[in-house]
Amino acid sequence: MNPLARYLLVRLALIVPMMWFLVTLVFVLMRVIGDPIQAAQGGRLSPAQIAERKAEAGLDRPLLTQYLEYLGGILRGDFGTTLTDNREVSDILVQNGAATLELSVYALIVAFAVGVPLGRLAARHRDRFPDVVLRLGAILVYAAPVFFVGLLLKLAFTPFGWPSSGRADTSTELALSRGDHETHIMLLDAILWGSPDMVLDVLQHAVLPAVALGLLTGGVFLRLVRVNLLQTLRADFVTAARARGVSERRVVRKHAFRTALVPVVTVMGMQIAMLLAGAILTETTFEWKGIGYELSEYLIARDFLAVQGIVTLIALIVGITSFLIDVVVAIVDPRVRF
Amino acid sequence: MARLPGLPVPAVVRQSHGLQRFMLLLGFGLMAVFLVVAVLAPWIAPYDFDAVRDSDGVKFGTQQAPSAAHWLGTTVGGQDVLSRVVFGARTAVEVIVLAVVLSSLVGVPLGLVSGYLGGWLDRVLVLVMDALYSFPSLLLAIVVSIVLTGGQSSAFGGIFAAAVSITVVFVPQYFRVVRNATLAVKSEPYLDAARVVGVRTPRILRRHVFSNVSQSLPVIATLNASEAILTLAGLGFLGFGIEPSAAAEWGYDLNKALPDAASGIWWTGTFPGIAIVLIVLGVTLVGESLNDIWNPLLRTRGGTDGHDAEEVADLVAVDPTEVAPVEATAPAATEPSGERLAVLSLRDLSVSFRTDGAPVNAVRGIGFDVQPGEVVAVVGESGSGKSVSSRAILGLLPDTATVDGSAVLRTPGDEPRELIGRRSDAMRSIRGDEVSMVFQEPSTALTPVRTIGWQLVECLRAHRDVSVAEAKERAVELLELVGLPDPAERVGHYPHQLSGGQKQRVVIAMAIACEPDVIIADEPTTALDVTVQAAILELLLSLRDRLGTAIVLITHNMGVVADVADRVVVMYRGSIVEQAPVDQLFAAPAHPYTQALLDAVPHLGRETGPGDAPPSEVVLDVDRLVVDFAGGFGRPTFRAVDDVSLQVRKGEVLALVGESGSGKSTIGRAAVGLQQPTSGSITVAGHQVSGISDARLRPLRRRFGFVFQDPAASLNPRLSVGDCVAEPLRTQTDLASAEVQARVRRLLEDVQLTGEHASRFPHELSGGQRQRVSLARALALDPDLLIADEPTSALDVSVQARVLEVFRELQERLQFACLFISHDLAVVDSLANRVAVLQHGRLVEVGPRESVLGSPTQDYTRRLIAAVPVPDPVEQRRRRAERGALLTEES
Repeated sequence: MNPLARYLLVRLALIVPMMWFLVTLVFVLMRVIGDPIQAAQGGRLSPAQIAERKAEAGLDRPLLTQYLEYLGGILRGDFGTTLTDNREVSDILVQNGAATLELSVYALIVAFAVGVPLGRLAARHRDRFPDVVLRLGAILVYAAPVFFVGLLLKLAFTPFGWPSSGRADTSTELALSRGDHETHIMLLDAILWGSPDMVLDVLQHAVLPAVALGLLTGGVFLRLVRVNLLQTLRADFVTAARARGVSERRVVRKHAFRTALVPVVTVMGMQIAMLLAGAILTETTFEWKGIGYELSEYLIARDFLAVQGIVTLIALIVGITSFLIDVVVAIVDPRVRF
Repeated sequence: MARLPGLPVPAVVRQSHGLQRFMLLLGFGLMAVFLVVAVLAPWIAPYDFDAVRDSDGVKFGTQQAPSAAHWLGTTVGGQDVLSRVVFGARTAVEVIVLAVVLSSLVGVPLGLVSGYLGGWLDRVLVLVMDALYSFPSLLLAIVVSIVLTGGQSSAFGGIFAAAVSITVVFVPQYFRVVRNATLAVKSEPYLDAARVVGVRTPRILRRHVFSNVSQSLPVIATLNASEAILTLAGLGFLGFGIEPSAAAEWGYDLNKALPDAASGIWWTGTFPGIAIVLIVLGVTLVGESLNDIWNPLLRTRGGTDGHDAEEVADLVAVDPTEVAPVEATAPAATEPSGERLAVLSLRDLSVSFRTDGAPVNAVRGIGFDVQPGEVVAVVGESGSGKSVSSRAILGLLPDTATVDGSAVLRTPGDEPRELIGRRSDAMRSIRGDEVSMVFQEPSTALTPVRTIGWQLVECLRAHRDVSVAEAKERAVELLELVGLPDPAERVGHYPHQLSGGQKQRVVIAMAIACEPDVIIADEPTTALDVTVQAAILELLLSLRDRLGTAIVLITHNMGVVADVADRVVVMYRGSIVEQAPVDQLFAAPAHPYTQALLDAVPHLGRETGPGDAPPSEVVLDVDRLVVDFAGGFGRPTFRAVDDVSLQVRKGEVLALVGESGSGKSTIGRAAVGLQQPTSGSITVAGHQVSGISDARLRPLRRRFGFVFQDPAASLNPRLSVGDCVAEPLRTQTDLASAEVQARVRRLLEDVQLTGEHASRFPHELSGGQRQRVSLARALALDPDLLIADEPTSALDVSVQARVLEVFRELQERLQFACLFISHDLAVVDSLANRVAVLQHGRLVEVGPRESVLGSPTQDYTRRLIAAVPVPDPVEQRRRRAERGALLTEES
């Protein structure tokens, strides 16, 4: 068998038990607290009404039956229905997932644009002025919670009328939702709609959340790139390349950087989980209606069926992304490939 | 920094310097401020955290701007912002301390046990922890928080609930760090050393693993503490933290302040936010600085590698640096000296390194010439400065080095050029083009993520104006020239797809790509097996003949010197003590150091090792031993030892020789129960040791001792020498403490150390002394069997001689059976009664020393012996001529 294919198969095989564990953990934890209907409606409905609701939702059956049904549902892509507004959780993925994806991509762009070149700069000037400034900056960015950065951005930019909440102006949003090609990715929708004003409006709304979330991740990238590049720059093969008369610029770019990237990409994969957690907070801060925003709304409403579904969904997304990251690592590092 | 009177400055601050120290102290300072504020909150804060009126009952009013009464203003709920920020510090500190304590209490033992025991438990735990780790930590904390508080807005142990939610998130991190550190420690020989003498698992975990793992804990604890604060704030921000009526919490306040931001009310959110930033900053600075200071990968190297000056002085009887250097000019037989201009001349070359301590003078004013087409060997032991001077010539030393003196390059058709102090871009055109280098370790000298063809093309195009296609063509030619099979296909391979010898051929191909005038080869064959070494040296010589390149060969191996050098430069502690043509140097060494060095080198075929031991009872009986190592998923298993049977008798030394991967170490490990055999049996003094449980093996362990290859790694750095030697006694006997002490003293004296050494730590000893400690430990229980796995291959020649002498003397006196594992046939020749030759896990030949090494019956043994260069140029020339085609096509 092709070694790359074999490696990926092994990796894929490892994801299944991991996902199963997470899905089960969420189910067990969410049931420890008793039943979700009691939690959501307790006090508001009479015990008889609650019992009726429970029977309706199938929550009065043995736990094992419910668990198996829940697992079966997930395999079919059915993550259950919310209690408060009777929405399919999978619909939340379709309608709000795009918003989260869009925000994550913007943030990743910002993070890469900031973290990778600056990390390289810091490493090349170790313990000198640029390094000191950049490292302190990276630690500051890391130390600031994303919602605090969000708050500061809002304080700084609202006086100038810069949009600081939502994904677009109400008029744009309405227009786009009536469009024929609704991808739910607003930038794409606006482009397909063909209105430059709308595109500009959507982009303007994206700037602050993308910067807030992107800086957070970018700080982490910066530190990662710096430390790994520093270690690689001490490797023997770097000296060897210099001894062959390869220019310093090329040594850093072509020999050290690519090799340093391997551990960086691996850790970046783990950062995806952090990015998602950050997205929950960022979305709440900027009223960006993604999965995280919905999650916090359902949390406030104590709708734990919805919470269970969304959390399960996020677990799956994390699992799949970490698999994709391993594919990228295998491409960057020939030692994994063969 | 001066020590503050009355304040203990932690050791770590003293280890730091400059900016690092500033960041560390800033971090400690911030942490201290928040701790004080947390403890004294009720006295510092003007009001209670949820008070909305002052003592007169007057309401503060909501969203009041900062004023004299409310320095930081009031919140939307009408509370004093300053008071909430101060009490928030208390909440944060309580939660962090609780979370860090809880998660280390759970995570550290789990990581230790899982990493050390391995097996199914480990696999399941890793899967579970990885799953938890990959999950967004905030989400996990939310879910746990819902579970703990029942989803109801009860004030149930708010702080405890928050701490537990955060703990669940951090347990996997402690687990991972501790498990990885445990795995790293587990592969250290000193753990094997403890296992060999039967130390029980809990004691190993406590004494050996935890003490070495624990140094990573402060780093991870501080880094986690900062994440704990952020998670707590995130929980509060989403409304899942501590009940607002129970305690002040910054995240919650920020959430409440969010709508204010749009209306320009800045004070409600800014201050709790700044508090979060500062406390996280403090904790992170401490963690980062600790990591920076302690991470060995980032430390600035300084000093020379542990040079056994004391032992060399013993050997030479005088301090070699006190004796004037000797220089023999070449006899004017072939050509009058001075007529041809040296291609490279060094004069007064000195190198010193700035370190955190005093500057280290690595090279002290050396000078020698290299003629065109000449092979000059620079020999010396570790720390002699031979590698440093070669790197100084090409300007490849780190910034911490200062280079003085001169190195003049004279190439045909160019003006003489001074290399020292040349600007780096001017240097670039010389490196690889006129002067190129071959490195010791071929597997680290090639960039792992680029194909060898890519690297060759880059090297060519760095100096020649050729197209990529032309360069590629030339790359294939070069690979063919250095004897790499299938060059057209191999050109697209990555370094890890080639064997060590093949990689070194590629490195040489790059070194000759631009037909340089000088090649500096820094220990080019040290990392290679002897048959491969012979082939690589052959290649270097043929290239010299073909291209007329001068070669500076840096080596510690006198056999290699005798084999290929025209002239020899002997270095000791940064100075040249003698230079002479090779025949003269070996025939009549003039300097006492050179004499001592040559005396210490074992010489294959000239050693007067012991004869056949008188027949006595069998101590080690290995019968049809097979050891397989499982391959990864879908990979075939690897058979390391294939049907090997051998016996060692009382009073006898059996040498097990073979090249890397021959399975010789695996047999040694199986013999002491460190490796379970796949099939076959092993008995020691009549007791079966293979295939039995650890508990049943433990009492048998007193019957064998083990000496490991690397003395630096086989002694636990955190135990004193006395404790290291005493460990077998404490584990296997009931001797009282005083008796143990006395026995340790006797053992140390046996290996020619003194009782005074018992209180020192391993790093305070030289390599040779450490190896003698290792020997004392192995002999502590008066074993029937001693396994010595390459006991001298990490040592310098002069030190090796002393260790071998101690070993021989003890073996004669104590008459233990010994399995002596080695790749060095000359060493084996000096002390074995019998020799067993292994190849690819199979026994090739076994018999008395004289017959196996003197008149081998097997082809492989003959090749192996022919490949060993002997330290005598005249004899080596004869051997080289004799071996002829015996060594073609290897590597």
